[in-house]
Amino acid sequence: MRLSAIRAKLTAICGSRAVLHSKEDLLLYEYDAGLARARPDFVVFPSTTEQVAAVVALASESGLPVVARGAGTGLSGGAIPRSGGIVLAFARMNRILEVDVANQRAVVQPGVVNLELSEHVRPLGFYFAPDPSSQKACTIGGNVAENSGGPHTLASGVTVNHVTGLEVVLADGRIVELGGKSSEAAGYDLTGFFVGSEGTLGITTKIMVKLTRVPEHVSTLLAIYNDVRDAGNTVVEITSAGITPAALEMMDGWTLRAVEAAAHAGYPQDAAAVLLIELEGLRETVDEQVLAVEAACARQNAREVRIAQNDAERQRLWYGRKNAFAAIGRISPSYYTQDGVIPRTRIPQTLEHIQQVAARYSLTIGNVFHAGDGNLHPLILFDDRSPAETEKSIQAGKEILQYCISVGGSLTGEHGVGIEKRDLMPMLFSDEELQVMRRLREALNPRGTLNPEKLIPGARTCMEIRTPQFPGVVS
Amino acid sequence: MIAAEHKLHAAPAEVATPAGESEAAEILRECSRFKTAVVPCGSGLHQHIGLAPQPPFVALKSERLTQVEYYDPGDLTIGVGAGMTLRELDALVKPHGQWLPVLAFPDRASGGNATIGGLLATAMHGPLKHAFGGVREFCIGVRFVTGDGMRAKGGGRVVKNVAGYDLMKLLIGSYGTLGVITSASFKLFPRPRQTATFVCRFPGLQNAMAVRDALMASPLAPLALEIISPGAAALLHGHADDAGWRVLLRASGSDQQLARYRDHLGNAASAELTGEDEAAAWSLLENFESALPPDAVVVAVSCPLSDVAQVLRSAERAALERKISWAGIGRACTGSLLIAFLGGSRPEQSISAVHALRASAPPSANAVIRRCPDSLKAGIALWQLREGELEIMRTFKNALDPAWILNRGRYFV
Repeated sequence: MRLSAIRAKLTAICGSRAVLHSKEDLLLYEYDAGLARARPDFVVFPSTTEQVAAVVALASESGLPVVARGAGTGLSGGAIPRSGGIVLAFARMNRILEVDVANQRAVVQPGVVNLELSEHVRPLGFYFAPDPSSQKACTIGGNVAENSGGPHTLASGVTVNHVTGLEVVLADGRIVELGGKSSEAAGYDLTGFFVGSEGTLGITTKIMVKLTRVPEHVSTLLAIYNDVRDAGNTVVEITSAGITPAALEMMDGWTLRAVEAAAHAGYPQDAAAVLLIELEGLRETVDEQVLAVEAACARQNAREVRIAQNDAERQRLWYGRKNAFAAIGRISPSYYTQDGVIPRTRIPQTLEHIQQVAARYSLTIGNVFHAGDGNLHPLILFDDRSPAETEKSIQAGKEILQYCISVGGSLTGEHGVGIEKRDLMPMLFSDEELQVMRRLREALNPRGTLNPEKLIPGARTCMEIRTPQFPGVVS
Repeated sequence: MIAAEHKLHAAPAEVATPAGESEAAEILRECSRFKTAVVPCGSGLHQHIGLAPQPPFVALKSERLTQVEYYDPGDLTIGVGAGMTLRELDALVKPHGQWLPVLAFPDRASGGNATIGGLLATAMHGPLKHAFGGVREFCIGVRFVTGDGMRAKGGGRVVKNVAGYDLMKLLIGSYGTLGVITSASFKLFPRPRQTATFVCRFPGLQNAMAVRDALMASPLAPLALEIISPGAAALLHGHADDAGWRVLLRASGSDQQLARYRDHLGNAASAELTGEDEAAAWSLLENFESALPPDAVVVAVSCPLSDVAQVLRSAERAALERKISWAGIGRACTGSLLIAFLGGSRPEQSISAVHALRASAPPSANAVIRRCPDSLKAGIALWQLREGELEIMRTFKNALDPAWILNRGRYFV
């Protein structure tokens, strides 16, 4: 099928105002928040599940890739149409369909912004627990595709722990419902398996999520250290004491200073590291845990522990953390956010290793991360106008990940594999293990049209699924 | 205390006890080549679920896969072989003040004999599901061998990980139809240092549900909240001392925290149990299924929270109409109920009650038959599977067990 014929069909399915095809319109969809770039042939804005199904079926018939896109805040290239094709943008499927307080569930379309759901149900005493740093912009459909986490997933779990049902469009355009409002369904846990499959098994068109009750009491502490190792040891000390904070975040000294210059959160300028610790629950529980955490910090040589006295102070402490990435943007033309995971007992030695890598590559690397679950976010500063420097930062990132894996960790904790880490997967999985994943993908995505060239390396290439009359790849 | 285990229905043609993953892979490659059926087997605790696999088959036992792969208490993570029992795992982590929150008393409940492989294959859970969710929420890695002998892996050792497909989710609750689990990793939790259990008794279900609703609207976060039907209470305690419904609520924390629960429940709580009394009460509940008479027909119902009362009423009516007794317990705040129909010498009445329960329960509820006399299994759908999902299940089955040798016939055909 020629592109012009496909355009006519897409217009017939979704209407002419829902299909972009001119080069200048498509340029905006070459990007997400990661490093990869590629231009789609079409961007389509479906309004209904049936439209999604018709577009996916058309893509399957014509062998054209189809890639779902929420807000484009992903960091691993999940929404990038690596070999062109159709981008399904969910901006118009952004309704909260149902809030079912009695069952502590909400049913949403994939384009609903993460924070909007929480704000919508907060007057009822609930919120949606997964809170990626991009929650003001990112969509719940994207959260489902990537199995997103966030600072508060330490105690409450990541996206998959909060999804009980999905409506999914399969590669051939079939619409199926998986799971439901119950906490468990008969048969395989297909809902759980689809979450985090990065759009390679189907396209989500409806999501049933758990709503979590807003805690009675919250307390936020800032522990300040002169030695980054003490901060790392405090993390283990707190969890070993039987306390699971709602959030346990760490920032190193370099990041602190960068953030403070931009956000004025009141962070100390001369510290080597801080821990931002949030405790929530029953008032009595939180009060006791605050004392225990303070004592743990003191035992690990914290020079000061500040406790937010009110909500404004609490917001201020978090403001710096949530805007850390934006703050780095002020001082470096580009930065590359890594997403390695390590067992939390290995934090001190891993941070040391990261600084050795930084020195070896003559790069600046800051650290702001989810310490409680060992999910590191080294921020590698570079200038993307220099190809050599870009390559250097990618190499440094890879070395850091290699180290994470060598201490028992993983390539990615919450950003996904996508394009960015696809070719690093053999660091973690054997050929045989990858082959099993490939078999599962091919079972549901036999023509390879759903988000091709992502997640699993070395399977079908773009040449196998695309005929050459579809140009559009820019990188 | 520990009930007799349910074993395989038929004698296996052969028993294989691989010493490791590569041996398991070799056995499965061979069986796949000759299309020999394989029944993966741990302690045999759950072998009665589903249709009995037709002989001849090879029993693939996990009894030699009992290694500890790693355990660093500071990380609150552990990796063990599929043949280790919950009781053994508990003994490992208990000295460090940690637990795997599946059973609160694995040393007393027969479920403590369940192996890690069996735990995952059957998505087994108990009253602690209230606070911790099912095993899907805290299994962080799995290694398994596919039907045709490929060595596969999902997840890893860390608590947060999105590298590759979440194969833990696919394997959990797949009843050994997709692969033979060889080892798994878990997130552990701090063991509560002090607990108390509040016993509430009510003349009717309505009162019990009101207490549940008030609790759910409160900031309280108990470890477990279990509803117990009058028949179940009579069965568990061996005598029908009263005809009422019960709610058991177990909370943990300091004296001040426990006081909050006491204040909240007020007059609703008629007794407070600690220590040995508390352990005895919960191990009875964790043992509920194995304490039932052998002819009981048991269904596991999962439903949205607002349908719990309707499901229990449907069960009660179904039993009354057939003049048989019934017993039900369950997690009233997660919608996971276990309902037993006790038709005695008339098991067909129990089956008829299951049909009636399914017909009158809300459409959102799902009733899976966990136990049923073999002779009656052919007459009723054991699993309530929806066509759309079933098709995807078959597709995955083909992908991971192309010769369909694993637990052939148990789950679906």
